[in-house]
Amino acid sequence: MTKYKVYRACKFMGKWILVLMVAFVILFPIFWIFISSITPETELFTKPINYLPLHPTLASYKYLIENVGLFRKIGNTLIIVGSTIVFSTVFCLMAAYGFARFRSKGISLAFGFIIVTMLIPEIVTARPLYEFMRKVKLYDTYLGLIILYISSVIPFTVLVLKNFVTEIPISLEEAAAIDGATFLQRFFMVVLPLMRPAVATVCIINFISSLNNFFTPLYYSNNIQVLSVSIVMIPLKDNNYGLPWDLISAMGWIILLPIIIFVAIFEQQIMDGIMAGGVKA
Amino acid sequence: MSNINRKKWIPWVMVLPVLLIRLFTTVYPIGMTFRNSLFSIKLLSGINKFVGMRNYVDVFKDDKVIASLTFTVIFVFFSMFFHIILGIGLALILNMKFKGRRFLRTIVLIPWAMPSVVIGIAARWAFNNDYGLINDLIRRFVPTFNYSWLIHTSSARFAVIAMDLWKDLPFFAILILSGMQFISFEIYEAARVDGANGFQSFCRITLPLIAKHVATLCIPFTIWRMTSFDIVYSMTSGGPGEDTSLIAYRISMEAFTNLNVGYASCLAVMLFIVMAIFSFLNIRVSRRFSE
Repeated sequence: MTKYKVYRACKFMGKWILVLMVAFVILFPIFWIFISSITPETELFTKPINYLPLHPTLASYKYLIENVGLFRKIGNTLIIVGSTIVFSTVFCLMAAYGFARFRSKGISLAFGFIIVTMLIPEIVTARPLYEFMRKVKLYDTYLGLIILYISSVIPFTVLVLKNFVTEIPISLEEAAAIDGATFLQRFFMVVLPLMRPAVATVCIINFISSLNNFFTPLYYSNNIQVLSVSIVMIPLKDNNYGLPWDLISAMGWIILLPIIIFVAIFEQQIMDGIMAGGVKA
Repeated sequence: MSNINRKKWIPWVMVLPVLLIRLFTTVYPIGMTFRNSLFSIKLLSGINKFVGMRNYVDVFKDDKVIASLTFTVIFVFFSMFFHIILGIGLALILNMKFKGRRFLRTIVLIPWAMPSVVIGIAARWAFNNDYGLINDLIRRFVPTFNYSWLIHTSSARFAVIAMDLWKDLPFFAILILSGMQFISFEIYEAARVDGANGFQSFCRITLPLIAKHVATLCIPFTIWRMTSFDIVYSMTSGGPGEDTSLIAYRISMEAFTNLNVGYASCLAVMLFIVMAIFSFLNIRVSRRFSE
């Protein structure tokens, strides 16, 4: 009996050590970024690291606001990510319905095409697309960036939404049609209300992946800076440490905080979305 | 299939916006990349002439490209190796019953949701010899420890792979977990009645049942590894030398910094072909497993 108790205790301990290790490995670096962002520069570049700064300060944030134009960057990010989500959801809902409810060789081929393009790496298309964007005067414009952001979320969104429409029984729509509903009425009154959970899921995932999009703003814009790019563009202050870690950690934390809150709130939808489409943020 | 949606043009109108955007952001540029790969285009010296397959021959004589290819292979292999081993381990942890399981599942999503570029630039500092997080933690146990991780080839490579794992392993584990949840509890009960211990039931039940699932996951993850860009861009800038410049980073350097467009296109075409082979495999494998 005592032997069994010891075994149980060991098992319990082992389990918790594993869990705490995982939590530590994930949370501690994030905690370190936060602490660095509120540590004054003079304390930051010392050994060993002081994980509880003696004189916490918001100086780095103030510097970012005054000298790096933080608010404009947040504004740019919100405009681009916001429009991306609205337009991509509208376009992809339409397309998902089209792909799910109509069958012809051409439509199936078009759907196959959208899915195949999912695996084309951005770098393969980058240079010609850059030159094309310059030629049509969309380089470094909000419109151009939004189009490219939308493009990058299309395959995943269409795939998830199409699968969802397919699961809605067509008999619902047939019943509505018999009652005299037009095509648009069926789409808006019958299908769309049922799509709400799927739409929420793709919006949440697309919000995260657009926020994380680094490649597009790096190569297709110059003056319009979003948060993900500006973190590598922070100018060196003359502190000779090679990397303005005080500012970078502050900028990093500004990017991370909304993401962490978002993940905490929408954990379930994110899990659903990941499992539905195998997204890569 | 249905007789209520009869007009032929309706579906095309509905899918048109999506189709147009994808056509113009993928098909046209890929066509141009193929064309450019046959030219020598050097914007800095104003060269633009047809050279046929010469780029494709030159690629294999270029030390920088060979260094990139070497690291890309190392990176993909080790990253995937540890993805599988540690991913299954983490999935098992997430599948255990304990208070706070939901909390752990939530925080595991955070690295997945973080931008790679933030992770990369934080890692650049975390691996700093004097003020970095990693050495600081080591010094708590070995006070005299001193090492510049990102200056030496093997440790820089290790660091890049470690950060890649930090970001994507939780995501991989969650996907494995989704496969594990289909295994019914009764199978484990039956095994326990027959006297199997935890390790045995893992080897004989869990592993065989998730093996196909894990194999299917590996292909897209391998493809993503082959085209990784953000982390190297922000963490090591390909250094020391060219030792951590992944192929996608190499291409972007040739295309946007050295402005050697023809050459970059040739590398891009070769990457594209490798990707196409893997994608084809992906479709074949997932078809076979779903049968």
